[in-house]
Amino acid sequence: MIGQQANNSQLLKMTGICKSFSGVRVLTDAQFELRAGEVHVLAGENGAGKSTLIKILAGVHTDYEGQIFLNSQPVRFASIHDAADAGISVIHQELSLVPSMTIAENIFLGREKCRGLWLNKKEMIAESRKLLAETGLDIDVTQNLGSYPLSIQQMVEICKALAFDCRIIVMDEPTSALTDVEVEKLFTIVGKLKKSGCGIIYISHKMEEIYRIADRITVLRDGQFVGTAAAEELDRGKMVKWMVGRELNQQFPRHKSAPGQARLKVTSFTLPDPAGKPMPAVNNVSFDVRSGEILGIAGLQGSGNSELLNGIFGTYGSSAHGSCELDSRPYKPTTPANAISRGISLLTNDRKANGLVLGMNIVHNVTLAALKKFSPLGWLKPNSENKAAAEQKEALNLKAASLKMPVDSLSGGNQQKVVMAKWIETSPKVFLLDEPTRGVDVGAKHEIYELMNKWTSAGLAIILITSEMPELLAMSDRIIVMHRGSITAEFDSEQATQEKILHAAMGAQTN
Amino acid sequence: MTTRILKGRNMRRTISLLIIALLVGFIALTGCSKKPADKEDKGTKAKWTIGMSQCNLGEPYRVQMNADIKSAADKHPEIKVVYKDAQNDTLKQRSQMEEFISAGVDLIIISPKEAAPLTPVVAQAYEKGIPVIVLDRRVLGDKYTCFIGADNKKIGKAAGKWIVEKLGGKGKVVELKGLMTTPPAQERHSGFLDGIKDANGIEIIFEADMKWLEPDARKEMESALARFDKIDLVYAHNDPGTHGAFLAAQAAGREKNIIFVGIDALPQEGQAYVKQGIMQASFEYPTGGKKAIELGLDILNGKKVEKEVTLSSRVFTKDNIDSGGQLLKD
Amino acid sequence: MTKEESSAKLTKPSSEHWFTSPTARALGALTIVFCLGLLFNADGAFYKWGTHRDMLRAVSVYGILSCGMTLVIISGGIDLSVASILALTAVFFSLFTIHKGISTPIAILACLVIGALCGMFSGAVIARFRIQPFIATLAMMVFARGMAKWVSGGQKISTAVQQSDGTYKYVNVPQIFNFINSKVLGDNITVVTLIFAVCLIISWILLVKLRYGRYLYAIGGNEEAARLSGVPVGWTKILAYGMSGLFCAVAGICQAAQELQGDPEAGMSYELSAIAMVVIGGTSLQGGRGGIWLTLIGVLTIGYLEKILSINAVGEDKRLMLTAAIIIAAVLLQKGKK
Repeated sequence: MIGQQANNSQLLKMTGICKSFSGVRVLTDAQFELRAGEVHVLAGENGAGKSTLIKILAGVHTDYEGQIFLNSQPVRFASIHDAADAGISVIHQELSLVPSMTIAENIFLGREKCRGLWLNKKEMIAESRKLLAETGLDIDVTQNLGSYPLSIQQMVEICKALAFDCRIIVMDEPTSALTDVEVEKLFTIVGKLKKSGCGIIYISHKMEEIYRIADRITVLRDGQFVGTAAAEELDRGKMVKWMVGRELNQQFPRHKSAPGQARLKVTSFTLPDPAGKPMPAVNNVSFDVRSGEILGIAGLQGSGNSELLNGIFGTYGSSAHGSCELDSRPYKPTTPANAISRGISLLTNDRKANGLVLGMNIVHNVTLAALKKFSPLGWLKPNSENKAAAEQKEALNLKAASLKMPVDSLSGGNQQKVVMAKWIETSPKVFLLDEPTRGVDVGAKHEIYELMNKWTSAGLAIILITSEMPELLAMSDRIIVMHRGSITAEFDSEQATQEKILHAAMGAQTN
Repeated sequence: MTTRILKGRNMRRTISLLIIALLVGFIALTGCSKKPADKEDKGTKAKWTIGMSQCNLGEPYRVQMNADIKSAADKHPEIKVVYKDAQNDTLKQRSQMEEFISAGVDLIIISPKEAAPLTPVVAQAYEKGIPVIVLDRRVLGDKYTCFIGADNKKIGKAAGKWIVEKLGGKGKVVELKGLMTTPPAQERHSGFLDGIKDANGIEIIFEADMKWLEPDARKEMESALARFDKIDLVYAHNDPGTHGAFLAAQAAGREKNIIFVGIDALPQEGQAYVKQGIMQASFEYPTGGKKAIELGLDILNGKKVEKEVTLSSRVFTKDNIDSGGQLLKD
Repeated sequence: MTKEESSAKLTKPSSEHWFTSPTARALGALTIVFCLGLLFNADGAFYKWGTHRDMLRAVSVYGILSCGMTLVIISGGIDLSVASILALTAVFFSLFTIHKGISTPIAILACLVIGALCGMFSGAVIARFRIQPFIATLAMMVFARGMAKWVSGGQKISTAVQQSDGTYKYVNVPQIFNFINSKVLGDNITVVTLIFAVCLIISWILLVKLRYGRYLYAIGGNEEAARLSGVPVGWTKILAYGMSGLFCAVAGICQAAQELQGDPEAGMSYELSAIAMVVIGGTSLQGGRGGIWLTLIGVLTIGYLEKILSINAVGEDKRLMLTAAIIIAAVLLQKGKK
């Protein structure tokens, strides 16, 4: 827990909040309370009502029942601007930034500093530089945001929210795209904010993080308030029970199966950097993964693990050197279509950017990678598509009102399941998973772990990248660690510990 | 900030309904004159409706044509003229003709864009019993009531003869031609050649197709000025073309040494240029609007008219501009 | 939309959605225009079938262009060259049939190939060299127009054939021209309209029934996701522009037949009309959404609007302003859920 400096003054109180969408209740008598100088975690599964509650506070939803008190004064915001003016700042889960603008422009988006009619660019650049420096980020603020990796972009999102005086800050999954180093920076910022008397509402799915940062925890379930407790008084099991209404003893139910033959063997794999940097993204990497096995690849920002998987999949074309063997037959990465036809599937780490076609419905997303199967001679057979999608819905326990709804209306966990269904339809032999549980709630995570078990027992080989250390340790049968494009360590799951992995990820060679 | 104002579906609905209301108001106030309070407000409703199909009101000549028709028609409260402009689109003009036929007008005046594509629809009207006056440009065949036009060959020849006289039988001439796929241009060209054929000293050093358009004429003239040090006279098939040539010469500082001759002589265009000294001669190409209404009334009153009516033409020069030009003899 | 809102949808009856669907909104605009026609019916002209038949004929060539444009826009691109390819094929068709006397089926086939090749060239430039569709098709627009003028010698290719001695010989109009220009089914519908209908059906099959259509929607919706799902992005795009070129060729043949000549200046600004019709129908310029029936509604909306203004002899100045106002109103009415 970060420094406790809770003064007891109450910043915010929300009581009796009720909200319905088209006659369906999403919040019933929800309540929340925030004190100055505290980090108050708001927890709950996807669909519990956290986002709606936050949106009501932020002025997005203006039509609700109940009361909000700010410093004991009753308030009712008519718009987002109202809430912002009252000192409430929100850091969204979905980045609200413009990749084609510079970092400085993004930080001051919507609130540009002007001298009369003219934009005061110098001042904005200087301010942004200062802001970022406070977070320990030393980057060029005049470069386009899009040229930076996702984790940096998330940090900029955080800085954007902090650029203005605020009393209440809402952070919605702020670390989902951050590396461990950056998470530390974030916690430092949070500490400073606490000292200055701000109240922080923190939404997170990461257990470790919650217990690290929270002063108090409030849990919502199915739109209702379940309870609030000081973090030290609420143990993990109890919190999860509050969230799901059942005991989740085994968070990571990994059933190891005896690994079979090597399905994918990679030798001296070298990949030039896709962004054109002089150092190769992947440098002389060799490994294999067997059927029934989950191979975890650990690594920090810039380790090249994600690039490795993409390189094998053919995302970057045939620019890679080295040789691969798939089920003992030679395989050369050329295009994604080729990889798919050979039985390799890749679940990318950013489903919205390149995993799903958001405007299409569930059925069409599920059949997209295996469309040839559903369209003999080029003629579509919608019945077979619907059938396959329905089967997947069952098998993956997908929660959706109708398979014809567009996927952008689904929750994060369900969206991820749709992407997985898409790949399962291609009958993969090797399944590359890049952050499969990012932005997914606890219940769905559990289901995904079970699915991974099911797949491996059916003979699939899985390569898993995850930045959640416990997940990595529990689900992997073997772990390799990458640092700056090379493998620095290899462990069996019994030998591995968090410390050893972190050391290797930061460059220490243990081979 | 603006997002705040424009947010909400209700706002959008209101704006769209506002626009639609404006729209309806506009239409109600304009084109479709269902109101009897028009020209015929002395209690006499128009007896006959005349449909006027113009090929392209983008040309000043045709604006004048419609204006001439209107001023002639205004004197006769028993006729009402409906004007349709095809904006230089042959298929649109065909469509508009069909609308006239369908509406059952009593007489059609048409100035067609092109002969072949519009011949069938003119014939259709004619065979349905609607008299058709073809104005200024011809259609093929003979299925129309009467054709009114000026004789471009005659005008071209007169221009040629005037040029020979002016230059004393010797000189370097630039000819800027109208769209040579149209009969008027062809005739103004062949007429001109006929007019100068006996003068061996007249040399056409440069000819170009400026498509009746002033900017094109200017470009062509600039090329001519660049190539030739000595140009005595510019003969363009229409006044806008002559004017474009004048501007090019003026930009090169050579306009005082060149004589400018054109055709059309619209009051606000060619005649004005002659008055101002920009052009030395403009040959009138009459619009025939007034004649069309005259003959139209004859037809509607049951009188027989000639199939081919040739309009007479005048030449305007500095000497005679104030006295209304000089009639061309055959 | 949050997860809470989506779980709210679980109990909402789906029929409630139809009134906000793109089809309903597009029909809304069309209905308004139609009612305007009923209101300002020019002494009953709007009630005659001939008026509607003629409107359909006038709008068919634009409609055929819009079919190809729909395919391209759904894939996330745009095709500015449609009018120029129309002119090019109109010129070629007239040249082949009137001047060279080539047999009709071969002439048609040749023109379709020419149109498709032009389109595929644009598509290849876009797919392989990653040049923006706006720029690539703008270049083709200029190039095809120039080629049309070059092939035709700057003149209209008509039944007046210029002989070597400068005089003109007049030949008969080819049979195919008369056929395309004719009315069938008891004078109630024109052949061009039927050709438009066939193009609509072909587009429908491509977009809805074939795997190819799904690829188009996927690429327009999220090109990178499509690529990483194994969709052949390059070929799909090339084919989309090729189909657009093919439809342009069909339109060019119809245009030549109606004008009884191949005019290298034909179709000026038709590309804007085609785009407007697709957009008013409700297909998004961003790609990934929309369909051919929406385009049909857009075609009819603009077609009726022009016809109503024409039968009421509304002057050009007001006509332009009113058309602009209707376009904005129609698009505003459409904006609901993004």
